[in-house]
Amino acid sequence: MIEEERLPADIEQLSEPLVEHSQRERMLNAMARSCSTKGYGATTIADVCAGARVSRATFYDLFKDKEDCFHAAMELSLADAMGRIVAVYSPDKPWATMVRDAAAAFLELLAGRPAFARMALVEAPASGERAFELYASGKRVLQSLLERGRDDPVEEIAIPSSAGRAALSAAESLIVGQILAGNTARLPELLPDIVYITTVPYLGREEALRQSREAEKATPRMGG
Amino acid sequence: MILRSQRERLLDAAVRVGATKGYGAMTLTDLTREASVSRTTFYELFKGKEDCFLAAYDRATEALLRRVTAAFDAGDSWPRRARAGLAALLEALAEDPDMARMALVDFGAAGPTAQRRHRATLQRLTPLFDEGRDYAPGGRSLPANTSRMAIGAVAGLIGDALIEERAGDLPNLLSDVLFATLVPYIGPAAAAREVRETSR
Repeated sequence: MIEEERLPADIEQLSEPLVEHSQRERMLNAMARSCSTKGYGATTIADVCAGARVSRATFYDLFKDKEDCFHAAMELSLADAMGRIVAVYSPDKPWATMVRDAAAAFLELLAGRPAFARMALVEAPASGERAFELYASGKRVLQSLLERGRDDPVEEIAIPSSAGRAALSAAESLIVGQILAGNTARLPELLPDIVYITTVPYLGREEALRQSREAEKATPRMGG
Repeated sequence: MILRSQRERLLDAAVRVGATKGYGAMTLTDLTREASVSRTTFYELFKGKEDCFLAAYDRATEALLRRVTAAFDAGDSWPRRARAGLAALLEALAEDPDMARMALVDFGAAGPTAQRRHRATLQRLTPLFDEGRDYAPGGRSLPANTSRMAIGAVAGLIGDALIEERAGDLPNLLSDVLFATLVPYIGPAAAAREVRETSR
């Protein structure tokens, strides 16, 4: 739980590498928070240092510049997201179950880390080539997961090769809209909608609706 | 009158400079130089760079929405209306790749206000997509966010092409964006059929 990390109480007793590790995480955390409030463009190294309670010298010990820090924060986000996907992946699971489990895990991750969610899905795509590349590589993994839906077509239909990419953009757009509306904590409630939109090109409407209803049973409701 | 044309020139400049060097790197000097106006004039018209970008974004998206809505309204069945609206959108974007980039890609770099403005713009397309609910048998029982998601699919496919600098190819995406629009409402078999039939 990087989001809520605090300075360890017994800091004097910690050996140096451990302090440095947590300083680094505090800076990545501060970068994500600053991006989510004022945007990457307006974020300064001073914001990161203040947010992480570290000196400018410490910042430059670990990062070359602002972009380098942003890139490291994005790498951490991507690693977390891929870890969640790998945890639910199994070649034996039916495809639709895997899509549901992966979507549920991804939404939980985003809801638990609102600052990183906003940084990774709102700021990164628009903040330079290096960050975009990390964002795009995460998307490619999810896309290839979705495109396995093509392996077992319900009917012989000429589904365009872009169908998986389109479905992923549809889900992403819904998620980003909720993040921008300040509803990040409630992202898990979107699971039935996301299961529907990602499975309908491959399973057809009736089966996708059935999968969506199944997902609804497992979806936490926070009311409202 | 002069001030008005200076304003238009600054909006044009925001689109062009944004497309060549990106919103983040764009400076006020870039804008005033490109538009041949003084800094004083700039500040008479806009509060700052973000304000100017938002005005350019609004001008571009208003024009796009007008074109899309006019084409959509001319169609008969919903799939044909959707096809006409999407075709008009792709043509308009292909005609002006710099504007397309600003309207669909670069707004993301322009900060939280621009990002929220973009969401609101996309939402204005919802009524066009919601017609799919009435058209499709059982359309009322589809997930609540179906139209939002379908709009996101279309914007995503177009954005991907713009990022890959294939703005000129956009009209060729018509079948793909039409399929993405129709599939959540009528399913893949009917969507594939409508993509074929409405092309005649």
